Amino acid sequence: MDILAGSVAAGLLIGLVFALVALGLTIIFGMMDIVNFAHGEFLMIGMYTALLTSQTTGIDPLAALPVAALVGFLLGVCCYFGFVKYLLRGPMVAQLLGTFGLMLLLRNLALLFFGSEDRTIHEGLLVGQSFEIGMGIVIPATKLAAAVLAVVAFVGTWLLMNRTKLGRAMTATALNRQGARYMGISTERMNALAWGIGGATVTVAGALLVNFWSVTPFVGLLFTMIAFAIVALGGFGSVPGAFFAGLLVGLITEIPGFWDFFAYITGSSWMSGISMTPFKYTWVYLAYFLIMIFRPRGLFGWKS
Amino acid sequence: MKKACSALSVFALVLAMAFMAAEVCRAAETIKIGVLYPLTGGAAAEGRELRAGAELAADIANNVMPIDMDMAKRGGVPSIGGAKIELVFKDHEGNPTLGADLAKKLILDDKVVGILGCYHSAVTKTVSAVCEQYGIPMINDSSTSPALTQRDFKWFWRTTPHDVTFTRDLFELFKGLSEGKVKGVPAVKKDQMIRLASACEKTEWGSQVSETIEAMAKNNGFVVGKSLLYAAKSADLSSEVRSLKSAKPDALLFACYASDAILMVKTLKAQKVSAKIIWGQNAGFEVPEFRSTLGEDVVGILTRTVFSPQVAQVKKAAGQVNALYITKYNHDLSGASARAFTGVQTWVEVLQKAGSTKPDAIQAAANAITIPGDQLIVPWAGIKFAPEGADRGQNVMGSGIIGQYQKNKEGKIVLEIIYPFDLATANMIYPFKSF
Repeated sequence: MDILAGSVAAGLLIGLVFALVALGLTIIFGMMDIVNFAHGEFLMIGMYTALLTSQTTGIDPLAALPVAALVGFLLGVCCYFGFVKYLLRGPMVAQLLGTFGLMLLLRNLALLFFGSEDRTIHEGLLVGQSFEIGMGIVIPATKLAAAVLAVVAFVGTWLLMNRTKLGRAMTATALNRQGARYMGISTERMNALAWGIGGATVTVAGALLVNFWSVTPFVGLLFTMIAFAIVALGGFGSVPGAFFAGLLVGLITEIPGFWDFFAYITGSSWMSGISMTPFKYTWVYLAYFLIMIFRPRGLFGWKS
Repeated sequence: MKKACSALSVFALVLAMAFMAAEVCRAAETIKIGVLYPLTGGAAAEGRELRAGAELAADIANNVMPIDMDMAKRGGVPSIGGAKIELVFKDHEGNPTLGADLAKKLILDDKVVGILGCYHSAVTKTVSAVCEQYGIPMINDSSTSPALTQRDFKWFWRTTPHDVTFTRDLFELFKGLSEGKVKGVPAVKKDQMIRLASACEKTEWGSQVSETIEAMAKNNGFVVGKSLLYAAKSADLSSEVRSLKSAKPDALLFACYASDAILMVKTLKAQKVSAKIIWGQNAGFEVPEFRSTLGEDVVGILTRTVFSPQVAQVKKAAGQVNALYITKYNHDLSGASARAFTGVQTWVEVLQKAGSTKPDAIQAAANAITIPGDQLIVPWAGIKFAPEGADRGQNVMGSGIIGQYQKNKEGKIVLEIIYPFDLATANMIYPFKSF
């Protein structure tokens, strides 16, 4: 039973962080129908920001969250005004190739400045700490903190989008750009804000992840794929969809644990002889594939 | 006029011959050996160690030093006019395709006499295929996949023992535990050390280790409850560790490179997973970063290796070379640097025996050479390559040791020898204390 409970707990915790990773992607898509292939690279920059801030100033990696958020926000806004704004005038294929190029640029800049070696945080208030909560469930403190702070960031973003004038202006821009402009909303500024918020949420997710996940300039691709799967599953443009789909994807990555559990309770030697861990992300991509075929709008999607 | 022309022709001829002689002399001045190691990427820590060991060996070979080793007394390669060794390093990043491209570049552009490397078995596999194609000798110092010497290659020789030898050592240790042969440990009942679980990185090396463990466990009456393969570049190993935990193993066995070895132990600690024995198949478990990053968490962990500073107790040259290494790099030699050192040393001895840089002469010398054990810094009986047979090119005089990280009286974490039992330098910590 401890195998099952441990896998469920681990899936939910990492799922919350995955959801935060996907939040920025869904906001940007919801606002301007552009798929940001460089989303994972934003996350990588968030990871490096937290790691370097912590290492150079000596502060705890979690205390570097505001720095990561600021860097992400500025990066998002700069990308919009310096790059994306012009891409929006072109056809869809130009937008796709443009953000793909941005991905390559950011990745290679990281390679140039940080090198290709893995970097990990070895010291921190919560690093290496864990506690048992019964039923054999062991919760690493860094993952719990990341999950809790991911929920806080999620709620904050949701409140901003749904309970403030700014958020309503962004929603209006997303629903009808021309109409919003007639109402006096600066749609340009709203787009930049969406990129800023998208950048900030994903760099915060990166800063949370780096407490227990090593970083290289190539780490972004895995998270871009996961974020795509979550956004497709939850529905393009849907904030609650990203939240629930994130949890679901977190649980999907724990299929190897569920497999081990069934192998244990059935006593099946052939099941225990097969290791599912090398395929843990395969199930995520399979879910992405299936949802694109059978329900392209996703579970909570409002944009078709 | 005719006389003047003749004189000019003779002068030109003499000048040309002088240039040619100078060129020959310059060619004899250095012998280029291409060295392929992972100097960046996930195994960069091992790469740094390998490079340091190789450079130290070349330095000793090119100069006369007070070390009890023939190579240190010659100041070059006397049989080739006192030529010096020049190592041309290339970084293959752990990428087999890049390794093969770089090998071609070394052979065709840098005109190296031969190749040394490549650490990752998967890279050694492709690089040795290139060498075989071009008829260029390759000495492999640090790749341990058994399959590498089972291809009947004519231009490939391996100094290090391979994983069948190393894994056999592990099962000898298990056997010794049940027979009470392990220093400081009373006999352990066989049924208390029966369930094994392994996690190995999934390239050529790790998958061969995994297969070897399963085969030997079956032959020796052990049960492998879980056998995992994972990507060495994984940034998170939580689900792998939980899967290992589900097998409730008595011994956890690993084959990891540096960054994943550190991540694996950190995750074991975070998930509160433990076993009576935790053993690593060298590589990441013995690079200096492993103990400097994990600190006291490594105490009690076992690793197979080919070097421990304690080897100096039985081999004088090992202590002398280690002292030089510490002066230069501020830490002891590791299994990686010691094997790279031995690889360059083997190259020097082969060239000395060949008396030429021609591939055929080197091939004949490598097949005939015997380097006595007292010349080496590793605890082997010597180096002698199998000239034919199922393990062609494999050093048949190699052996491994199993070390355990322990805290000495000064509070420093050192690698004590546990196996072979007659070389044991400390009582074994058994069972492993939980993290």
